[in-house]
Amino acid sequence: MKRIVWLLLLILAGHFPVAAQEDAVAKTNLKVGDVAPDFSLLSDKWEQVKLSDFRGKKNVILAFYVLAFTGG
Amino acid sequence: MAKLEASDTVVLGISIDSPAANAAFAKQIGVTFPLLSDMNKEVLTSYQILKPYDVKGGKYQWAQRTTIVVDKEGKIQHVEQGDSAVNPNSAVSICTGLHKPKGPG
Repeated sequence: MKRIVWLLLLILAGHFPVAAQEDAVAKTNLKVGDVAPDFSLLSDKWEQVKLSDFRGKKNVILAFYVLAFTGG
Repeated sequence: MAKLEASDTVVLGISIDSPAANAAFAKQIGVTFPLLSDMNKEVLTSYQILKPYDVKGGKYQWAQRTTIVVDKEGKIQHVEQGDSAVNPNSAVSICTGLHKPKGPG
């Protein structure tokens, strides 16, 4: 029975590919308590900023946005 | 922002834009915190938040809008994704909470 329901859902999903895509969230597997993967990236002032530089000093809010100038 | 500075917190914006684009963006919206360029999408990949976008028939992979709070030990304290992640209030309140001295025990 479960299989049939899944099959129906799959068929239905195929009929609404656009809606499915817009709603899709690239869900991270990172969760509370995990160690945040370290990184080093160039800032808007062309300086390397490393996440682990803040270790023991500051909390860090990582705000990922889609693109500059798009209100996101 | 003052609330955040008081709670020992920095904000890092991250996207796939170039440093030059981010510099212009920072100036336009008046942010004072760093905007970082993940042009190789390395961080977006390691944080598993690359999202496919269709633009006029072209396919792209950019960031899923996400807010992650990392505490002073480097541990994740909060993950928020999707449209609600645009509003920073919950992330701010968490950082204010992290700053509060812990009770005995």
